[in-house]
Amino acid sequence: MKKTLFTLLGLGVLLGSTSAIAQSTWDGGDDLPTAPLACDGTPGAAAAKEYDGAQPTNAPDRAGKQLTLVDIPKLIGIGYFGATSKGMQDAAKELGNVEVTTDGPTKANIDEQITFIDNYITRGVDGILFAANDTVAIAPVLKKALEAGIHVIGYDSNSTPDSREWFINQAEFNGIAKSMIDNIAKEIGEDGSFAIVTSTFTTPNQARWIAEMGAYAAQCYPNMEWLETVEAQEDNILSFNQASTLINKYGEDLDGIFGMTSVATPAAAEAVTQAGMCGKIAVVGLATPNAMRPYVKADCVKSVVLWNPVDLGYAAVYAARAAADGKLKPGSTELEAGKLGKLQVVNGSEILLGPPFVFDKSNIDDFDF
Amino acid sequence: MAATMALPARASAGSRLRRFLFSQEGILLIAIIVLFVAVGAYNQRFLSANNLSTIFLGNAYIAVAAIGMSMVIVSGNIDVSVGSLIGVLATISGTIAVSGWPLWLAWTLPILAGMAISAVSGWLIAYLRVPSIVVTLGMLSILKGGLISVTAGAWINNLPQGYHLAQLRPLGVPMAVWFMIVLTALAAFWMRYSGFGRSIYAVGGNAEAARLAGIDRARTVFIVFVIHGFFAGIAAVLFATQLSVIQSTVPPNLELTVITASVVGGVSILGGTGTVIGSTLAAILIAAIGSSLVFINVSPYWLRAVQGLLILLTVLADLARRRKRARHR
Repeated sequence: MKKTLFTLLGLGVLLGSTSAIAQSTWDGGDDLPTAPLACDGTPGAAAAKEYDGAQPTNAPDRAGKQLTLVDIPKLIGIGYFGATSKGMQDAAKELGNVEVTTDGPTKANIDEQITFIDNYITRGVDGILFAANDTVAIAPVLKKALEAGIHVIGYDSNSTPDSREWFINQAEFNGIAKSMIDNIAKEIGEDGSFAIVTSTFTTPNQARWIAEMGAYAAQCYPNMEWLETVEAQEDNILSFNQASTLINKYGEDLDGIFGMTSVATPAAAEAVTQAGMCGKIAVVGLATPNAMRPYVKADCVKSVVLWNPVDLGYAAVYAARAAADGKLKPGSTELEAGKLGKLQVVNGSEILLGPPFVFDKSNIDDFDF
Repeated sequence: MAATMALPARASAGSRLRRFLFSQEGILLIAIIVLFVAVGAYNQRFLSANNLSTIFLGNAYIAVAAIGMSMVIVSGNIDVSVGSLIGVLATISGTIAVSGWPLWLAWTLPILAGMAISAVSGWLIAYLRVPSIVVTLGMLSILKGGLISVTAGAWINNLPQGYHLAQLRPLGVPMAVWFMIVLTALAAFWMRYSGFGRSIYAVGGNAEAARLAGIDRARTVFIVFVIHGFFAGIAAVLFATQLSVIQSTVPPNLELTVITASVVGGVSILGGTGTVIGSTLAAILIAAIGSSLVFINVSPYWLRAVQGLLILLTVLADLARRRKRARHR
């Protein structure tokens, strides 16, 4: 009998201690300073920061001349980089005096990527576009390219700034945050309540986005209620269970769920679908179009927030052209990028792609990644 | 050896009850009831039909996998590759389903594949006498690496209508839960009353005595692994048919969750004792704790800490019981 009592006592202590921890709720955001954008969408004032990229040495005068560019993404053969590559071809066709080839490893492997870049330096090109598999490890070979007078432009995944001229930044944290909150506000109203399903405590990007979302919501929708954040790792079924549990817990009091990863967002949509709550509980999140297609087509999810990889590749080619023409140089504050208009220079040597892209029923079939 | 559940022939009802309450199964049942009552009192919605369904449906596959795992551990071995195995088998199931083959093949071939893969591990362990931790650690890497290389992490979408076996609800109860209940009952009965079932306990409890009793250790261990593959296959099919997409990766920490269910269920890591009723109850308890953490606003991060605590408590209780039994002898 003693032992049973002991075990029960242990369980009691356990429950007691867990509810004590409950007092300090974790919201999933980090403690870094936030910079929420203006509610009406006026672009944030870019903090003036000096150019911190690197320029090619003894680059020949290529202004207005035919350019041969090579694009070396993290890997080839996947939808995402197929889309960036398409954007590059679009831009080349528009410009008329640029030729781009995409080539690269079939696996996201930094060593192979370095070999590819090295080969193209030897072969001789006017410019290299890259999406780095490793920020630091790719730097030496890029510096070698700069020393050979080749223009070097990064997109999607950066290298250290001193190893490339410019980097096309697909989205800033506060931009994603604004798009997420604005899109859910459209569905749940300015006084709706929402919960967040994220990956883990420690994923820096998610924590940053959540902190910015909280700051933006507090500033622009003060009556919106943020119920809680749950952790679900990168696990499909756990994400589904957590989202279902949120629906069960809050019932009518829950108006919307944010998914913070490409795993959490479809799982949240699945939970809402299986609970028969489509149209009653909104799901907005960061995810790839392929993962969300069934839910968007079934009208259960109205907006999926990400960036448009086609535009990303398009901007990279325009940046290379402008750099070769001497129009984009240290001190420039914007880039004229064809149909995308003027793109802002931020953080010294990054070009911001603009507000995130929202995939919805009307456009999701244009993408395959 | 199988004495944990074997009751004296003419035990009075009272002493039967006391025995049950002292057993791991009894303690787990009490813990589950206490948890449901306590969290239900805190927030009634915890006991809503929807939430009970989430708790059971979302985790039944773990209980099913834990049945096979319990047999493996009772036989004195372990399989740390079960999470990767389930990931691979779920991907096989989904691939068959989207390639237009009949659905029953998508449900049955993964089970055969599970038995085949597990038979390889079992053969190495049983006949070549390689320690099971080594073999299954190797198998874990092979399966995980192979899966990522083959699928490149691409998800399986557009699964055909009718594929989602786990979502069916005969008599209002999710199919996955039916599988959990029926398989647990069958396995428990079989392990306790069949000759082979008892030989698993004998091999894990005292290999020398088992040999003297004429039990073929190697053959027993090999068959246990094949059966384990069978349950892993069913678990994988339930796992794959639960959601509209299959992730084609290995679910993080799944093997630990399955092993935890077995151990907390009272299956002694030293081999020889434990039941699958215990492991299923433990799987339910762990799932219920996971859900209750959301209801009482505690980060699910604590789930792992709680799981760890449960393991330690169980092992301590197991040791105490063993000592007590030794003293009485």
